[in-house]
Amino acid sequence: MSTTETERTVERPTAGNGFSVDVWITLKRWLRKTVRNSAVVFETLITPVIFLLLFTQVFGQIAGGPIRELYGANVTYVTFLTPAIVILSAMGVGIHSGMGWLGDMESGMFEKILVSPTHRGAMFLGKSLADVIQIVVETGVVLVIGYTILWLDSGGSVSTFIQTGIGGMLGVFAIVIVFSLWFTAYSNVVALVTKDVTSTAIWVYLVQYPLLFASSAFVPVNDLPKWMQIVATVNPVTYGVDAVRALMLGQNVLAVIDVTAFSSIWNTIVPAVVVLGVCDLVLGGMAVVLLGRVASSRVG
Amino acid sequence: MTVASETAETQSASSMAITARSVELTYADGTRAMSGIDLDIPKGEFFGFLGPNGAGKTTAIKTFVTLLQPTAGSVIVNGFDVVHEARAVRSSIGYMPQETSVDEELTARENVQFACETYGVPRRERAERIDDLLYLVDLADVADKRPRGFSGGMKKRLDVATALVHEPPLVFLDEPTTGLDPRARLRLWEYFREINQQGTTVFLTTQYLEEADELCDRLSVIQDGTVVATDSPDTLKAQVGGDVLDITLEAPDAERRAHAQRVACESGLFEDGAIEATDEGIAIASGHARQHGTDLLVALRDEGVPVTGFDIRSPTLDDVFLAITGAPANEKTVEKDHLVDTVQTEVGR
Repeated sequence: MSTTETERTVERPTAGNGFSVDVWITLKRWLRKTVRNSAVVFETLITPVIFLLLFTQVFGQIAGGPIRELYGANVTYVTFLTPAIVILSAMGVGIHSGMGWLGDMESGMFEKILVSPTHRGAMFLGKSLADVIQIVVETGVVLVIGYTILWLDSGGSVSTFIQTGIGGMLGVFAIVIVFSLWFTAYSNVVALVTKDVTSTAIWVYLVQYPLLFASSAFVPVNDLPKWMQIVATVNPVTYGVDAVRALMLGQNVLAVIDVTAFSSIWNTIVPAVVVLGVCDLVLGGMAVVLLGRVASSRVG
Repeated sequence: MTVASETAETQSASSMAITARSVELTYADGTRAMSGIDLDIPKGEFFGFLGPNGAGKTTAIKTFVTLLQPTAGSVIVNGFDVVHEARAVRSSIGYMPQETSVDEELTARENVQFACETYGVPRRERAERIDDLLYLVDLADVADKRPRGFSGGMKKRLDVATALVHEPPLVFLDEPTTGLDPRARLRLWEYFREINQQGTTVFLTTQYLEEADELCDRLSVIQDGTVVATDSPDTLKAQVGGDVLDITLEAPDAERRAHAQRVACESGLFEDGAIEATDEGIAIASGHARQHGTDLLVALRDEGVPVTGFDIRSPTLDDVFLAITGAPANEKTVEKDHLVDTVQTEVGR
């Protein structure tokens, strides 16, 4: 039934794209999926907003005084809290990053792409870039909402909200990206090891909230019980929150270790970037190895 | 092995879509999924792998599409080595996995579009190609809907469309109609025939003998990771020899079927043939089926085995399978689940 037209099948040009095109195609697909997924949009966008509103309205009165005493008269609780919520929302994106792979494995898309000429590295890089873009957008949203609350409460100007200006604001985005890498990698590692959405959710949330509370996120670290201060010292969330906070308040806020080698806010930012960078390398490395193994065709 | 792969290359360059030599694959846990598979599939052929669950069909197809690396032997697909030239193989094939794989967060059109982009279909050709493919698989009217609400058959058809965007000269279909209703199956068969008639080589795995018989120019019967027979469906059927006598028993429990088998065996009427238990009773493939059929019925009656029906017919691929492997084709072995698990773990690892 098929011998007559076989000539048509002789050598055709090889299908496939260059590396950067593959990255772009992957990125587009993940962004589209993210926007379409109402659960993700809700959880990663609405949750931080609700937290920001509830925390400032409930704890603002009590915490406002001590915060002003510690950081100066123009620092309100919402300014203090916004860095924590920025980090919380970045962690939310990270959680869904690992889940994304599981969804693709479940739907068969992962295997389908593996059989296509898509470059392996582009598969991973494209998805990571989609995560980064989502984190940048969410950070922007949290900053806008945070400032809106500040303005409604006290009519404070933008320069009291982010005291280091435009450069500082760009710095906030940079820190959030550096922070998010290790947590996103952690979520990927957990997803690839457990291969199960529920287990991944458990292992990720089990880490997310304890780390957030046992850090400088919601109250100044010196007001935490002694044992929590110890946890906070070795907790990357502390460094992420403090680096963002240093940029917003324009002062050295790192209280868990005493660094004086640099000037002002750099005493917070430099150690924070070092700590987060090490976490990124370790967990990022693990994630890359695991992803490489998943994409490999070796059986033995 | 060097000699074999050299031959393979020369052949594939000219006329072979797939050439496999002594292919073996053993999983990390020691499960041997393929042992010594040899194949030569010419371009343009509709070729099938027929075997029960767990026979190694999926492992074989995953090896041919570069998802698994053989532990030994060589596979040349479209002139490229599946291990050393994996990307070239991937560019030149279409693959439809056993499990439907569509992105449910993208519309049908976006799914096909994503496949077009992935395979680098030139931008100016995309819109037309997407429309053509959606039309081919009868999804044009739901092109802008997400596949969430599609039936199993519709999703499969969408999957077919995405596997064909780059007009690959060779398409792999892994049990493409498993789990579909008969109407959906017939429709898919039409598409497969159509792409084959347009010159595409098709490699299909199936556990449906009817499907292999209907579609394939040639097929290999595969069992326990080895090819036990390769030929055209008609030749394979001729190998059974003679006719098949189906006997339906009243309340055919295992004991009664065994009893009937024993009677048939001890009667000495069918010494040339195979006597097997079936779902309804027993089946006898023999050159003397027509001649001695009634004698067997008498013998069964004398032994007190209640017969409710009988039929003498030409052999089907079911009988071929029975005759070649000594086991019914639809027998679900325990290893099946184990093997599928292993495949998924290994691929997912």
